[in-house]
Amino acid sequence: MTEQLYTVASDSETTGEDKSQMSFPDVAIGIDIGTSNCSVAVWTGHQVELLKNTRNQKGMRSYVMFKDDSLSAGVTGGATREHGHEERDILSGSAIFNMKRLIGRMDTDEVVQASKSLPFLVQTLGIGVRPFIAALVNNMWRSTTPEEVLAIFLLELKALVEMHLKHPVRNAVLTIPVAFSRFQQTRIERACAMAGLHVLRLMPEPTAIALLYAQQQQQLLHDNMGSGIEKIALIFNMGAGYCDAAVAATAGGVSQIRALSGSTVGGEDILQNVMRHLMPDFDSLYAGQTMDRIKSIGLLRMATQDAIHKLATQEHVEINVDLGAGHKVSKILDRGEFEKVNQSIFEKCEGIIKQCLADAKLTPEDINDVILVGGCSRIPKIRSVVLGLCKKDDSYSGIDPLEAAVSGAALEGAIASGVSDPSGSLDLLTIQATPMNLGIRADGGNFAAIIPRNTAVPARRDMLFTTTHDNQTEALIAVYEGEGNQAEDNHLLGYFKITGIPAAAKGTVEINVCMDIDAGNVLRVFAGVVKPQGQAVPPFIEVRMPTLDDGHGWCGQALAKMYGSTLDLATIPKKLHP
Amino acid sequence: EIKEAYRKLQKRHHPDIAGYKGHDYTLLLNEAYKVLMRNSPRNAGASGRGFGRGFTGNGYSCWNGPVRSHALFVDENKCIGCRECVHHAGETFAMDDVLGSAHVEVQFGDQEQKIQVAVESCPVNCIHWVMSEELAVLEFLARPQQKEAHGVFGGGWERPRDVFAAANNFTKRLQREEQQDMARQQRYNNGDACEEGETERQAEARRRAGQELRWKRLRDVWNGLRDWTKPGVDGP
Repeated sequence: MTEQLYTVASDSETTGEDKSQMSFPDVAIGIDIGTSNCSVAVWTGHQVELLKNTRNQKGMRSYVMFKDDSLSAGVTGGATREHGHEERDILSGSAIFNMKRLIGRMDTDEVVQASKSLPFLVQTLGIGVRPFIAALVNNMWRSTTPEEVLAIFLLELKALVEMHLKHPVRNAVLTIPVAFSRFQQTRIERACAMAGLHVLRLMPEPTAIALLYAQQQQQLLHDNMGSGIEKIALIFNMGAGYCDAAVAATAGGVSQIRALSGSTVGGEDILQNVMRHLMPDFDSLYAGQTMDRIKSIGLLRMATQDAIHKLATQEHVEINVDLGAGHKVSKILDRGEFEKVNQSIFEKCEGIIKQCLADAKLTPEDINDVILVGGCSRIPKIRSVVLGLCKKDDSYSGIDPLEAAVSGAALEGAIASGVSDPSGSLDLLTIQATPMNLGIRADGGNFAAIIPRNTAVPARRDMLFTTTHDNQTEALIAVYEGEGNQAEDNHLLGYFKITGIPAAAKGTVEINVCMDIDAGNVLRVFAGVVKPQGQAVPPFIEVRMPTLDDGHGWCGQALAKMYGSTLDLATIPKKLHP
Repeated sequence: EIKEAYRKLQKRHHPDIAGYKGHDYTLLLNEAYKVLMRNSPRNAGASGRGFGRGFTGNGYSCWNGPVRSHALFVDENKCIGCRECVHHAGETFAMDDVLGSAHVEVQFGDQEQKIQVAVESCPVNCIHWVMSEELAVLEFLARPQQKEAHGVFGGGWERPRDVFAAANNFTKRLQREEQQDMARQQRYNNGDACEEGETERQAEARRRAGQELRWKRLRDVWNGLRDWTKPGVDGP
């Protein structure tokens, strides 16, 4: 008996040692910072675990409170204080939220314009620069930037994770909306660098969910001993700030993204629409930000939010709120009215799903599963729109709408960190796709797409161009990203010049522009002269994109005005060039 | 199945698993997968089986200096391999010893006077001045074309007897296909189809270039062997 007890104790020690050894390599954590809520998860050796804060919450609010000269983020919700942050305090102008919506945007953006009605200060000039953002601290507006707010938030999140794991954390996989441009992605990476985190991967949210779906299919196969047939899922994600759609083909643990589509509408837009519906003179009433008006906005916002939540389960809801100064809202809002007010938002959601199916060249009958995630997936109209387009009665029920993205990010973090699992739970792979066209400006202002949308990542593609003037010795390469046919309609990522082109008749010199995207989503552009006809040519130029930090609109227009006609390039028609 | 093999290879070489050294391999893998999926039986009708497949719009000869309105073309059907043109304008013309005929290697590689002498010295008048726009089609059709196979019958390679008439027919067919492509593109109402077509042509061009490089290497080896045996013949 004594010997047996000793053996059992020894086994237990060995098991403990294995566990500690397993957690020793630096596994990347998964972070899902939503516009309104965030969560963090990590691979614990055999499964993904969502971490909780000191209030035992998995989902934490995405905001930073600047009250009383001390910063505290929504990760702990001010738990170190006597009282935590209340919703009323968050809406008092001292807290910055919706930073994911504001990061990397210019003041001509309609999202920034819509954010001017938020309790904190958002000022715009309408000329294409970044907006001015400030929080109310000791009755003064103190300026900040969305990147700083996000960095403070990530710092507190990192502290929470390190408290749980009991060792430093360096690598992270973050989820981003599909509609994020490369410029916004670099702002996210910069905020992470300020917080001491290295971004291993930036994953579009539907891609993370597709990875989780692939893992579940893999486990089903293990249980049922079935064959590796291909399953196609449509993933629709709608949070507070963005909505995304993706089509993923899954077989044998490999999730292949066939199409991606995104838009910048979300729950915040629905909330604003309902607020304006309840208060028709909302914009004129709250044009200036005084203390009373900030408080009124907060009250109206809380009441509207509560009403929208109730409409998910009720047909109509009663709203009674006293805004002070003689203004009252007393109204019964029913579901039909709610859907009519937000008709344009539902049409946008419908549009991105149709585009996804068209890009993947699939019909609704080809879809095996419909996965609805994100907070807004609880809205009955959203569910009926998505399921109606895919001709399904029910959505896939194996994935939690609020935890799916962060679980997928943690899985990707484990895979990319090189973790291997003997049980096969990590025998997974995601083949990502590019969400937008990438190309350069050519043919007098047109957009020549070099890497088209939905190309599998990593990708490398090149295209030949030629000069437009006799004896032209320089060419301007302006790199754009987007869906428009004109270069000006898209995001300018950067620019450089090719010099030393051999002097020759126009149309005779061949210039190769190559774009390369690696698995870390880093874009590089190579450009140079080929077919030198015996003359010396300059070496190729390699530029990592994006290079611009600010003023995209101005820079694009200035480039077009100064160099558009003299340093232009033309695409070479493939058929007739000898 | 193509998809299954693609997924297995991706699991071994994707940069998420293999690190950065998997980057180049995965690029090739994605490219091969795209080409194979396009050429799979599901897309057989669209890719145009049989005669004329693989036309990229590029000729095989290159240009010395700027492109001119006229170009040289050798009708290799009539060529008897007398080497007169190579003798007079060796930079422009070259012998294909496997096929036993001459062809243009570099357009205007010699002085115009030498080129004119070479054209006039041809005993069967098989060197022609053609328009530059027609050169690509003519040079493509001068190569042996793959015949369409029906089961065990047919197959193999053949060359059209009259390369100029074949070029006329081929050009008309290209124009017809181009109009159909434009109509289909307008029907899609977005730029995706156009980009897809461009990518397909790029893929075909890349494959053709690969084949051309291998063919040229074989030809160089063959010519080297002939040159090496020549002193032996002169010895006795």
